[in-house]
Amino acid sequence: MLIQRLAQAVVTMLIAVLAIFVAVRVLPANPVIAQFGQHAVPEKIEKEMEERGWNKPLWQQAITFVGQMAQGNLGESFARPGEKISSRLGQAVPATLELTFAAMLIAIPVGVFVGTIAALWRNAWPDWISMAIALLGVSIPVFFLAICLIVAFPLMPTGYRLPPGTQHQLHTEFYFFEALLTGQFQLAAVSARHLVLPAIALSTIPLAVVSRVTRNSMLEVLDADYLRTARAKGASLLRMIVRHAFPNASLSVLNIVGFQLGMLLSGAILTETVFNWPGLGRYVVDAIRDYDYAVVQACALVLAGLFVTLNLTLDVLFLVFDPRLREGNRS
Amino acid sequence: MVTDTLIYGRGGDANALDPIHTDIGESVKVIVNIFEPLVAYDDETLDLVPGLAESWETSDDGLEWTFKLRPDVKFHDGTHLDAEAVVFTFQRILDPDHPHVHSNIIPYYSSYSQIENIEAVDDLTVKFTLKQPQATFLANIAMFPSGIVSPTAVKKYGADFTRHPVGTGPFQFVHWKPKQEIVLSRFDDYWGEPVGIERVVFLPSEESSIRVTQLKRGEIHIADNLPPSEVDGLEKTPGVVVQSTPGINIGYLTMQTQKPPLDKPEVRQAVGYAIDRDRLIEVAYAGHAQKAKSMVPPTLWGHSDDVPEKEFDPEKAKQLLQEASQKYGFELPLKLELFVMDQPRPYMQQPRQTAIFIKDALEKVGFQIEIITNDIGQHFQRMTRGEHQLGLSGWSADIADPHNFLHTLLHSENINEIGGNNLSQYKNEEVDKLLDAAQFELDQEKRTQLYKQAQQLISEDAPVLPLVHVPVRIAQRDFVEGYKLHPSSQVRLKSARIAEQ
Repeated sequence: MLIQRLAQAVVTMLIAVLAIFVAVRVLPANPVIAQFGQHAVPEKIEKEMEERGWNKPLWQQAITFVGQMAQGNLGESFARPGEKISSRLGQAVPATLELTFAAMLIAIPVGVFVGTIAALWRNAWPDWISMAIALLGVSIPVFFLAICLIVAFPLMPTGYRLPPGTQHQLHTEFYFFEALLTGQFQLAAVSARHLVLPAIALSTIPLAVVSRVTRNSMLEVLDADYLRTARAKGASLLRMIVRHAFPNASLSVLNIVGFQLGMLLSGAILTETVFNWPGLGRYVVDAIRDYDYAVVQACALVLAGLFVTLNLTLDVLFLVFDPRLREGNRS
Repeated sequence: MVTDTLIYGRGGDANALDPIHTDIGESVKVIVNIFEPLVAYDDETLDLVPGLAESWETSDDGLEWTFKLRPDVKFHDGTHLDAEAVVFTFQRILDPDHPHVHSNIIPYYSSYSQIENIEAVDDLTVKFTLKQPQATFLANIAMFPSGIVSPTAVKKYGADFTRHPVGTGPFQFVHWKPKQEIVLSRFDDYWGEPVGIERVVFLPSEESSIRVTQLKRGEIHIADNLPPSEVDGLEKTPGVVVQSTPGINIGYLTMQTQKPPLDKPEVRQAVGYAIDRDRLIEVAYAGHAQKAKSMVPPTLWGHSDDVPEKEFDPEKAKQLLQEASQKYGFELPLKLELFVMDQPRPYMQQPRQTAIFIKDALEKVGFQIEIITNDIGQHFQRMTRGEHQLGLSGWSADIADPHNFLHTLLHSENINEIGGNNLSQYKNEEVDKLLDAAQFELDQEKRTQLYKQAQQLISEDAPVLPLVHVPVRIAQRDFVEGYKLHPSSQVRLKSARIAEQ
């Protein structure tokens, strides 16, 4: 089972690599010419094309590309001479992961809480309010919400991961976690302060989705026969929720959280732009704007890789948490 | 709040800090604070004054230029400026196979291609030999790409020099976190006047509305590149002051002269009479622009005031178009495509509004306009290939010389599919001759006359409709003192100070 899933993941990645390669090549602009801009000199362009291998037949380029990717060599940026894409990704991915994590830290507990409340008071005012919030959460544009947040909280920083010019002793790009783990609590607090607004902005959509899913699966579980039996036997409401309803509802929530995580990684683009968060989203948007195709390729691949890994992890988690799946496998 | 750190908020990040490898404005803002060329701009004007060179002299034929370097100038890495460093700097630009150059993208390469040879005469004397006399040579030497680099540092960092720049300027590089910040600190061994601030942080923030908020809250101390209406709003904000200086730029409407129907001068003239540029300035620039008469801004020498003003006259436009339609046999309304970019430029702050305004004006006199929006890169690439009929465009000066406007934008030599900036594909042999003569003439008086003649001919042919010259405006906190906007648009922070409050 697991091996089959792994093989699937590898094939998916290979298809992704080739699809990205072709997608970038069919785009209308010549990336090399684009980099030279208004001061182009034909000989220099030709030299660059040759060094980059862009004037070779497509199939040769494809082989070189797949070969490089397989070795983990993501190449160099076009728009930023001499910059290794892997080193920028090493900064951008942790920045996005930290933000995504913070957003989920808000979305899951709050979403589960709101969904549970809604399910328990089905069709009453707490249900209506929480569902109205959920609806608002999915429909309000992140961009607009972000600007509202900035205006509404005049004492919170408008963005960036740390105050400008901060000197620190951090070695990884997971600022908050590293500061926390290495006992630099003041730095951790500062970094957390900077995380708050973007994380809230980013959390609204998953929060809305999680609360809806929680509500639905809670309702389903609460209506189930075994719970009615438990209730008849005199189990308290709290015990029922914690002992019986939660574990069952959690599977659907886990499913949706996994899906939302994937969405978040790519959906962080707008949030990152408003809050000047130097993550993957902004990196890829800038690259598209600059015709920095090498970077677009690499980012698309990293995103594809993250999706595949995430799905694989979820599959494994389901196998662990849901006994039915394992039994099905044995039969 | 007393602070010794100045925070400069801008719209984007740099792409490279090696002076030879970039032409991106956001990079230049940082580079000019780290590196210095041999010749500099005066603090307040566009006059060329001694920089790292104390003095210079030219041979009578204009082919040899000898520069005397300032003694006792130190690079940030502690090494001394000498003639060898200057030779090394220029060899990196000129020699395509230089071992210490790691990218082919050298945008200003052609500005220096007239240099035949450069040699160190002695420790503090450098001699340039040119292939032919070049009037813009000294101005080119004052451009940021010829900022003198420390050879020791270039050799030490290799391809990474662009992320560890070392020059002789008032500020030295501390660190660069892409998309987050670039930090510079005061260079204590600077040869010039002592610098007033300890540290500078360049912060990129793409959303201009957010930059406005940050400035109001004091998170940043200077905000540049803001839309005109935002600046107007900030002008009324307590604690914020706005600075303005005329920019050396031009926003214009290009007309593809090689494609019918715009190959007919009458049609191009009609376009010119149909557009009320005073009104355009109100609509698309919130009133903050100057109506352009010629392609050379009036702040620059060589600007011709004698060019006949193209007044707004829709009746005349209609009449010209009617006559042209009968003469050449085309139907009215005359269908044209207008190309417009999707992002603002300093000279075209609201491209969409500008395009709609022009469409509206032209349709009133007998044209039918279709607006084609492309993203900025595609927009210019398609226009260099000549795919447009009408197109919005513009230019900000590289050097304060009319050559940079007239030759670059209207000489037939600059028609080509890659980066040719003569977007109108305008060819007039007489204009070409005048511009060539002006390029090799060293007497500025004579050059002025040649450029004025060229502007007269260009105005008659109307391959372009000059629209506006746009001032540079920034907003800053009132406790930032001593920082003055320079007409060259260079961001020079060495004189800035933060007042105690």
